[in-house]
Amino acid sequence: MTNAAPILLDVRDLHAGYGALDVLRGVDLEVHAGELVAVLGPNGAGKSTLLRTISRYDSTLRSGAITFDGHDLTRVTTERTVRLGCLQVPEGRQLFSELGVDDNLRLGAFSTDRTRLADGLAGVYDRFPSLAARKRQVAFTLSGGEQQMLAIGRALMAKPKLLMLDEPSTGLAPQIVERIFAIVAELTRSGTAVLLVEQNAYLTLRHADRAYVLEGGTVALSGSAAELRADERVKAIYLGGDTV
Amino acid sequence: MIQLLVAGLTVGSGYALVALGIHIILRATRIVNFAQGEFSVVGGLFALTFVQVLHANSWFALIGATLCGFVLGLAFERLVLRPAARSGEIGLTIATIGTVFILLYGHALVPGWGSLPQPLPAFSGEASDVITAGGVAVGVQSLWAFALLLVALGALYLFFERTYYGKAIRAASNNPLGARLVGIDVRTTGAISVGLAIALAAYGGTIIGPIALVGGAGGVAITIKGFVGAIVGGLESPVGCVAGGLLVGVVEKLLQGVFSYGVADPIVYSLLLLGLLLRPQGLFAARGAIRD
Repeated sequence: MTNAAPILLDVRDLHAGYGALDVLRGVDLEVHAGELVAVLGPNGAGKSTLLRTISRYDSTLRSGAITFDGHDLTRVTTERTVRLGCLQVPEGRQLFSELGVDDNLRLGAFSTDRTRLADGLAGVYDRFPSLAARKRQVAFTLSGGEQQMLAIGRALMAKPKLLMLDEPSTGLAPQIVERIFAIVAELTRSGTAVLLVEQNAYLTLRHADRAYVLEGGTVALSGSAAELRADERVKAIYLGGDTV
Repeated sequence: MIQLLVAGLTVGSGYALVALGIHIILRATRIVNFAQGEFSVVGGLFALTFVQVLHANSWFALIGATLCGFVLGLAFERLVLRPAARSGEIGLTIATIGTVFILLYGHALVPGWGSLPQPLPAFSGEASDVITAGGVAVGVQSLWAFALLLVALGALYLFFERTYYGKAIRAASNNPLGARLVGIDVRTTGAISVGLAIALAAYGGTIIGPIALVGGAGGVAITIKGFVGAIVGGLESPVGCVAGGLLVGVVEKLLQGVFSYGVADPIVYSLLLLGLLLRPQGLFAARGAIRD
């Protein structure tokens, strides 16, 4: 796993939790520019907490370092992480359910100077033609797959350097999941780094460059996707013993 | 009968704006502001000060009072609501009730405001001018109040439906976490929402000033009637809040005209109970919108 691209996100010995509960117990992770990095692991391993801590909301950061594009994220607000280009499509998507598709996307550009908002909007509609057909539709009336695309599209409106996705495949039909993964892979080819948290290890390891396996709040395994696909433990636990 | 209806729509305009203010603050901050009616009274008194001290006419007084209301709302959010939020919902409720008493007893101490209600000058002509149409005389000041209500509603509609920042405020109310994740500072949008709501209350207290007078101890009654309107119309629906506020005004004036002054209030409050029993979501409840 040699990667000449500069490190975009650097997480060092991160400890975080909620109230008295410790969830992350020393996580080290890095994402290079333009890379697709996956985080796998069982429920409760701390995958969502990791993304929340990087985006600086909900969880309490206890110690460790988070550096994004040269900026220290440990002492900033969520809004600031967004302005720096570190975007998250969270669990549950958190769309503006009462607003239209078009408004959801436009508001995605809130953190930018918005002078080229129309170009960004056209770009997202090009990428997601099914959204273009539903510009005026209120967000909560969309199907699950369309809502996920809207959530990704809204994050893209902020021109992210890093896009973090928290289980985008949850609750979606297999062919929609395939499409979402294809879109994510395409994003990294156009230069946006992606940090992907997923349960679906099979598909994830097929698309990712590298992956980390979180267990009990620490990194149990890490390596290139090819290495992890061949790993006996990963095969047994996450890939159901299937050959990949 | 028509006169009663017009009188009802006039006082109802004030209730409608109070109800709408309660709705805006509730949506943006999840706080029920029991001091909304007091802010309406204080807003009318701001207008009075512009008239008495700066010799402004009622139009400039209206603009001045609305701007002062906005600033007062920002201060209210920063100095009362934000600190009180740390002690949870009960702390917030007590803080807004405390604000009622500060404004209720405090405003009488301000030179020129006093404890007795006073009239604002007419928006045009004399306060007693009427327009006669079809044998029915309607007060010009009542027409102004109603027209100015429509102006405020139109401006709010344009702000929330047509401007980028207005939509950002709606987005922050709709999904605060989603808003933060696109970079919207939800504390700022919350503060601006409170400012807008208090500006509306001040505007509402001023437009009915030439008829219903400004000042006095009526703020609590205005809050309660605004609430009755909001709940009858539907707290979650801006249209419902306005319609409910107008309805309360009309019912109140009709009852006062047909029966007596003292009968109206108990019946208006009974309306609230009846509304809560029969249609707890309000007459104009939003269709199927899911709230988190």
